[in-house]
Amino acid sequence: MTEYLIRRVLQSVLVIFLITILTFLLIHAAPGGPTQVMLSPGLTPEIFEQQAKNLGLDQPIPVQYVRWIGDLLQGDLGYTFKNHIAVSDLLWPRIGNTVILMGAAWLVSLLIAIPWGIYNSTKVYGLSDQTASFISYLGFAMPTFWFGILLQQWLSLKLDWFPLSDMYTRGKEGDIGDLFMHLVLPITVLALGFLASYMKYARASMLEVLDQDYIRTARAKGVKERKVVFRHALRNALIPIITILGLDLPILVGGAALTENVFNWPGMGRWFVEMAGAREYSALMAVTIVTAVIVVIGNLLADILYAVVDPRVKLGKQGGKTA
Amino acid sequence: MAKKRKWWSSLLVVSLVGVLFTGCSTNNTASSPTNAPAATAAPAESTAPDATEAPAADAPVDGGTLVTSTFSDIVNLNPLLINDTSSGDVAQFVFAKLYNLDREGNVQAEDWSLAAELPEISEDGLTYTVKLKDTPKWSDGQPITADDVIYTIETGKNPETGSPLISQYDKVKTVEKIDDHTVKFTLSQIYAPFLYALVQEIVPAHILKDVKPTEIQTNAYGTDPAKTVTSGPWKWTAWKQGESHTLDADPNYWGTVKPHIAQIVYKIYADQNTEVQAIMKGDTDHISAIPVTQVEAVKADGDIDIIQKPGAQYEYVMFNFDGKNFPDNYGLFAGQKTRQAIAHALNRQGMVDNILKGVGALMNAPFLPDTWADPGEAAVNYDYNAETAKKLLAEDGWVADPKDGILVKDGHRFSFELQYNAGNSRREQVAAVIQQNLKDVGIEVTPKAIDFAAWIDQNVTPGKFQALLLAWSLNTPDPDAESIFSSKYFPPAGQNSGWYKNEKLDQLWVDGYSTVDQAERKEIYKEVGKEISTDLPYVFLYQYGQAIGTGPRVHWAEEDAPEPSLGYGQFFHAIKWWVTD
Repeated sequence: MTEYLIRRVLQSVLVIFLITILTFLLIHAAPGGPTQVMLSPGLTPEIFEQQAKNLGLDQPIPVQYVRWIGDLLQGDLGYTFKNHIAVSDLLWPRIGNTVILMGAAWLVSLLIAIPWGIYNSTKVYGLSDQTASFISYLGFAMPTFWFGILLQQWLSLKLDWFPLSDMYTRGKEGDIGDLFMHLVLPITVLALGFLASYMKYARASMLEVLDQDYIRTARAKGVKERKVVFRHALRNALIPIITILGLDLPILVGGAALTENVFNWPGMGRWFVEMAGAREYSALMAVTIVTAVIVVIGNLLADILYAVVDPRVKLGKQGGKTA
Repeated sequence: MAKKRKWWSSLLVVSLVGVLFTGCSTNNTASSPTNAPAATAAPAESTAPDATEAPAADAPVDGGTLVTSTFSDIVNLNPLLINDTSSGDVAQFVFAKLYNLDREGNVQAEDWSLAAELPEISEDGLTYTVKLKDTPKWSDGQPITADDVIYTIETGKNPETGSPLISQYDKVKTVEKIDDHTVKFTLSQIYAPFLYALVQEIVPAHILKDVKPTEIQTNAYGTDPAKTVTSGPWKWTAWKQGESHTLDADPNYWGTVKPHIAQIVYKIYADQNTEVQAIMKGDTDHISAIPVTQVEAVKADGDIDIIQKPGAQYEYVMFNFDGKNFPDNYGLFAGQKTRQAIAHALNRQGMVDNILKGVGALMNAPFLPDTWADPGEAAVNYDYNAETAKKLLAEDGWVADPKDGILVKDGHRFSFELQYNAGNSRREQVAAVIQQNLKDVGIEVTPKAIDFAAWIDQNVTPGKFQALLLAWSLNTPDPDAESIFSSKYFPPAGQNSGWYKNEKLDQLWVDGYSTVDQAERKEIYKEVGKEISTDLPYVFLYQYGQAIGTGPRVHWAEEDAPEPSLGYGQFFHAIKWWVTD
């Protein structure tokens, strides 16, 4: 197991290194740069060239890359070009904000989706199953930003039950109750989206398992239905669900740009889009690194949980499973 | 705020003390008077202890917080580097300028200006002597002196700094200290717009003098509130990146006129739609730009004052005169009559009425309507007339292809790409109208939206496009526009991106700034207007504006109301505004 982990980590480091090179090349290939902002009469391109030079952006790309990776190895994520603010000062608070929002939405949706999906798999096409299907369709079909605006119009502007946007009311920063009130609407929007897919997964993978021979055997032996579902079927049904959850882990830090925009949530998704528009190379690279690390961790976690859930899977030498 | 209750309480207040509020509606320029009392109805539901039992609302009150908003964060507050609207917005509150503009756009030494009186301009128009007040202080208590002014100008015009101010000060030959409060500028040539270049924030020499010009950009001054010494009525207390700025009234502010508002919060929203929702909710009190599509919804809300007037910006279609951008090097826009035909073919008034919802004014020259340089009748006005357009095109040798009706000349089809920046819904609509209008006269237009940063870098700056749709925001009221129309300023170093060359105009622009006599200049710009509107490097479309919205908590006397025609005019005289809770 340890040997397996070490091998996986080394592989991952190599992959991440290659990703950084590729991303660095890609974002520098995009036209424009961090210094160009506004057009006004008299602002000649020479001014912006001089600014780029003052920021070291006139250096060849390989030189810039080496400089960046050198800083990174010393734990320094660099500075924004536009205003020389440490990227780490910008990144970590946003990751925190996004984890709060996405984590809460994710938990809410899992707590509803998985039990409900399992329940529906035992009563296919019942009323509950039909309702769940309908909600899933809504979740898939409704554009999040549109649904978000709808909720704002109705529950905030009209009824005044919830705050319109932001993370905290001005002057109440850090107040948990206030944060909770601000979370309700965006979580509703995000959870509906997650709910739709997780419910489908849970139901489908349960149905697949319930169709297996050993389940039929169990039932034939006269095992109670409850025990069949929870003891025999569920453990096997969870395996694909865990895979999906592991692969979805990056969502937690990636954020959801559109929802964050509508609810003015100071999170990663929105920031990333903003930084891409502004060609803030260091910030974009920082996001890339963090996301890549999370993806790798997510995959690793999924594999380890596999072994926990499914005794047939052995990690390491004997097992056939490597990344 | 609960709307219903609000409505009741307003009604109540109206019935009780309706008479008192006559003075209040002076600040409501664009809405029904019913919302004026609503502002004072707030105490009914606010918990603020200072809920002044409605003093006659025309008497300013001190204290309170004004929340204003924007949809992009600042870049840098260092006046040497300010080049985006958000940084400019915040600078209005925290920095004093040498001179300020009055509502008509004239340079003045106001109570809150650093200068004591208007500059003394020598007979030959080459030297400007500026006298500073002896009271101004930086927020750290140091006096603001001639040294600060000299440092600002010299660093701004130093090419190594990369400062946008270089274009304002490149004609300054020397700037000398006469005494601690007197500065003498000597220009290398007569340059009339220089007066407006003195409407400028100053930076503290005692903080920055040892910083290399190439390192100004990476210096903490301008990006770290704790290290940014300011000179205005409010100081920069805090910046939560991407979220908000907090500006607090500076207790040591040197000016004789003190601000009423104790704190300004400058909030950053993700986009304009979110911002509009927030002002309707009451989360923000002031918004600089309501998208035209939303103005009606905000008006229906009833609580929000809307000031709508065209501002200091105009939209245009630029032709590219460099044949290299066309198949077989055949410049489609070479014929003057062809360009005039295009001007006739475009339904500019229709754009103003339908897309700008009436808030815009047609332009025929690069001078804003109703300013002193507006050539008025002297400029050729192109009415919307497809028949005239077709006639002119035929005279210029264009013949319709019998197959599809597209015009052809010398074997070249009249078909071009019109570029604009993606995400600008106004331009998207205008481009569609242009496409349709020109299709009606046999010209095929392909609108193309491109990401802004990429577009500027790949097309606009190097002058590589066929035609484009863009706007100029004029940051000074001076009519000089040599840097965008003169052949001295071809790409890539200059901003004449369409490679337009007209020797007569080149000379007229120089004449225009080579005298400080306004009457003389007016005549020259009339001549410019006539020539440029005949020759058409651009089709000038219209001056347009942003609707400014303010919530019921914000008040001002009539002479201090926002002025959309000025740059940053949405905060005009904010030092005299007050808020009620």
